[in-house]
Amino acid sequence: MEEFTVPIGPQHPALKEPISLRMTFDGEVVKHVDVRLGYNHRGMEKMAEERSYIQNLYLTERICGICSHSHTTCFAQGVEKLMEIEPPKRGLYIRTLVAEIERVHSHLLWLGVAGHEAGFDTFFMYTWRDREIVMDILESISGNRVHYAINTFGGVRRDISEAQKQTILDSLGLLKQRTEYYTNIGTTEPTFVARIKGVGKLSKELALSLCAVGPTVRASGIKSDVRKDDPYAVYNEIPFEVCTADTGDVFGRVVVRVNELFECYKMIEFMLKNLPVGDIVVKAPRRVKENEVVSRYEAPRGENLHYIKSNGTDKPERLKVRAPTLANYPATVEMLKGCFIADIPLIFAAIDPCICCAERMVELVNVKNGEASVVSFGDLKKLASEQYKKCGNKPEPVSIAKQLEKIRRKS
Amino acid sequence: MKIQILAFLPELLKHLFRKTATVDYPFQKLVAPEGFRGTPVLYPEKCIVCKACVRDCPAEALEIVSVSETEKKFKMTIHNDRCVHCAQCVDSCPTDAMGMNKEFELAVFDRHNLKIEYVYVKSTPAPRTTPTPNTPKT
Repeated sequence: MEEFTVPIGPQHPALKEPISLRMTFDGEVVKHVDVRLGYNHRGMEKMAEERSYIQNLYLTERICGICSHSHTTCFAQGVEKLMEIEPPKRGLYIRTLVAEIERVHSHLLWLGVAGHEAGFDTFFMYTWRDREIVMDILESISGNRVHYAINTFGGVRRDISEAQKQTILDSLGLLKQRTEYYTNIGTTEPTFVARIKGVGKLSKELALSLCAVGPTVRASGIKSDVRKDDPYAVYNEIPFEVCTADTGDVFGRVVVRVNELFECYKMIEFMLKNLPVGDIVVKAPRRVKENEVVSRYEAPRGENLHYIKSNGTDKPERLKVRAPTLANYPATVEMLKGCFIADIPLIFAAIDPCICCAERMVELVNVKNGEASVVSFGDLKKLASEQYKKCGNKPEPVSIAKQLEKIRRKS
Repeated sequence: MKIQILAFLPELLKHLFRKTATVDYPFQKLVAPEGFRGTPVLYPEKCIVCKACVRDCPAEALEIVSVSETEKKFKMTIHNDRCVHCAQCVDSCPTDAMGMNKEFELAVFDRHNLKIEYVYVKSTPAPRTTPTPNTPKT
């Protein structure tokens, strides 16, 4: 049978955000995948160059809505290094605590999405209802459900009271109980397991060579976690295990995330019980000496990377963000090859894609000779109208004022 | 398959007699927790017009203009339609003149209706006791 190409996206019911996946099929089997990005570019890096560091803290928070704390912590860590300040222990503990609570909310959200994509909507309803417990915790300690804004340069902005500590510990019990139930359902329910087992295979060698990150690479049996490999904040003091699975499919990714949830609960409990006393913040300077830094952070989706270059003023010279989703695209292309059409949403959802996080820069590259070029807005407009005419359309409609003038002249 | 249905049964029965997880929103409202970041408010009697809030606002939602030079009168406009509710203004203010209330139902038909204006006389700065502008105030 002849091969044919189907464009999935930029707008497609299976996708929550715009991305173009051009797939070549042989019957129902995917043969080739071409990922095209750039439909959701927001110019955040350019914006960061025009804002002061403290303003950028809230801008980087808005790179992603689900891992908002990841981006600000990554940015704050880097800038603190540039400012040569060390946050106090209590501040770092609270920062890490919020990070782990965020991981719980992100993994519960993903479990629900995985259930939904596999056609198991009851699972989706259960996990999202229980995620509300986590959201309430976050709201009570930071003042907001999504953008916690708990970080500042040199520590955190809010302290945790004894009463809040107790509430978190109390709700952890319920969360643990519910997660045990999800583990039972997610790994033993025959219909669900049959749907996800063996789908989206990624071998250990491929995962390594394609530089996959986060639960995607851990599900292929590789112990890769920034928290263990290059500990930041207080991760060298907290006992935890890096969860892995050997199956390398969507089932493995479910197992890794569910096991990580239990590790998170352990870490949250440890941090709350061993919260050091003292200040939560130190004074930070406004201006930053000329230097450059790379900051790494293990976001719920994988390794997050910020490069910051300072130039002696209160604004950064350059900010470069590498979100985990971008690192997972090459691996996704390999996972999709050889799968069925019906598995595409499931495999794509399994990397927990955040498309707008990964949209950084748009460069036009000529596919034929690989040349990159910059196109001005005027040229783009000209190209568009040429294309419009080529499609058999009439030239741009004349404005009403010009038409009125014509009528007046005739009369 | 029969065994699997039995495994689900206790969970199913539990949910039959459970209270619903959601509330009837417009008629029944959830209470925002203590320290919730709602709408920013200004306490004009404390403002010394240092414009630290204007400088640090990431959304450029705050604006202070002089109304009368001789009377030292100023007008502050809080563009609540641009506000991202980060409460950095509350942290930046050296005199505690900014605060956040629990107002979160901000839907209006015209975004200009979200503007909040304060016309006030600049207050003279009180002698500072502990000069720590970076400490958080919640």
